[in-house]
Amino acid sequence: MNARRAALGQVVAAVPLAVWFAMPLVPIVLWAVAARWSWPAALPQRWGLTGWREAGAAGLPSAMARSTLLGLAVACLATPLGAMAGRALGWRLTRHSGAASLVLLAPIAIPPFAVATGLDTLVLRARLPGSLAVVLVLSVLALPYTTYILRAAYTATDPDLELQARMLGAAPRYVLRSVTIPVLRPALVTAAAMAFLVGWSDYVVTLVLGGGRLVTAPMLLASSASGTGNEPLVAAISVASILPLLAVVAGGVLVRRGRQGRRPAAARCRHEW
Amino acid sequence: MTVPGAQRRGLALLAPAVVLTAVVTTAAVGSVLLTSLGLLPLFGPATASLQGFEAAAPDLRVASRESILIATASTAVALVVGLTAALLLLRLAPRRRWLGAPLAAVLPVPHLVGAAAMGLLLSGGGMLSRVFGVEQSTWPELVGGPWPVAVVAEFAWKESAFVAVVVLASTSAALPDLSYAARMLGAGARQRLLRVILPMAAPAAAAASLIVFLYTLGSYEVAWLLGRAYPEPLPVMAYRLYTSIDLAARPQAAATAVTAIGLSVIAAAATLPLIRRLGAAQ
Repeated sequence: MNARRAALGQVVAAVPLAVWFAMPLVPIVLWAVAARWSWPAALPQRWGLTGWREAGAAGLPSAMARSTLLGLAVACLATPLGAMAGRALGWRLTRHSGAASLVLLAPIAIPPFAVATGLDTLVLRARLPGSLAVVLVLSVLALPYTTYILRAAYTATDPDLELQARMLGAAPRYVLRSVTIPVLRPALVTAAAMAFLVGWSDYVVTLVLGGGRLVTAPMLLASSASGTGNEPLVAAISVASILPLLAVVAGGVLVRRGRQGRRPAAARCRHEW
Repeated sequence: MTVPGAQRRGLALLAPAVVLTAVVTTAAVGSVLLTSLGLLPLFGPATASLQGFEAAAPDLRVASRESILIATASTAVALVVGLTAALLLLRLAPRRRWLGAPLAAVLPVPHLVGAAAMGLLLSGGGMLSRVFGVEQSTWPELVGGPWPVAVVAEFAWKESAFVAVVVLASTSAALPDLSYAARMLGAGARQRLLRVILPMAAPAAAAASLIVFLYTLGSYEVAWLLGRAYPEPLPVMAYRLYTSIDLAARPQAAATAVTAIGLSVIAAAATLPLIRRLGAAQ
């Protein structure tokens, strides 16, 4: 009876929290499939995809392609650099870890708008392409996260693992590819996802340094959300900006669950051998 | 590490990340600082002066206050909700873990999308006013009104998920066992919460709160979309001055950015020792 009451208490406490996290997403989901939803109706009066048609006409597909490329570029730069720094810090390969950590964490304490407006004139004078400057700045903003995640992963990994592989005759490159990277894979995936999100979500750095030419999904969303109330359009761009991310998160969870489900079978096989 | 050459290898591994970060941040902060002091004008001779700061001073005070208000309120709500969510998820039976799914869904949502969503939820004519059936004229001005309610709501919503995930990641391995041991030793629910669970979660919660505070202090788009025209927080003021047709406003924009950087650095320097102490106490 006591256990049942405790379980009931958990659900009673969990429901308001689930509502807190889920509720803000409800209006964008409803508006994204609403053709007519006038006040004071609690639900749309007519369903339809007008917002998506307008978003398509406003260039949403190419903006999403640009956002994807930006996210991938930031992930491709910030993940390996974060992994290298994380290796040096996590395995204590340097005496200067304090100073290095301070530099690598500094971007957290410098507002992105300040970095972007500060660099804008320098980038123009140096004739650097705007999109390259955006990728470099966003990579620097992502580096604290990738470094921190991979430093923790290296700290949790025994350096002797590589030594043992080397003693068994494996070449350094082979050790990295077949021993270290597989062991660090979950942390590498998390770090790359964080870095991708920094690029995918950014608004202010792209706005200042992209010079209006790098039209990503957030740029499109900002211009439609700040304009006159075209709710279906705003909602369609919003949903398009989070649907791929949710798909990736859900896919990751399913893959992990699948692996966990398989593990007992594999363990059984080894046991029989 | 006693392997010869390890020190040099360590530096070589650090160099790309450290050099890139140092070059970008030094160039940006240096340029903002020089511009604010009139030493990096867009045209004409460079003359050192505090004019940028002086011209912006009255607005700088108001904007700093607004920024600190938004950051403090957002961080406080995010910490309380995020910590509660994390502790509840830790206690939930494995069968009920799906209750944590909304939390995982909020984490990757871009802040700009969150801002657009909060607008559609909280504005007059938004979803909540429909659900409660309140006329648009009598609905409180949550978006763009006298208090930055919608701005704080967006930050608190997004960042509470962040706090929850950070706390979960750092405590979920050891906490259940420790809590069980305390229970076996006769600790009641209240004692377990105050003596075991909260001290275990404190370092991660404090570090996450600092990150949330710094983020909300420097964030532009949420307050730009959901905030009022005056007073505006530092990032919105800086960008407005930066894009002003009047090029003489550039030093004022830079002075605003310098103020925001200064506040962030002070906040980080003031709280880092506390976070370190919490971590060491554990």
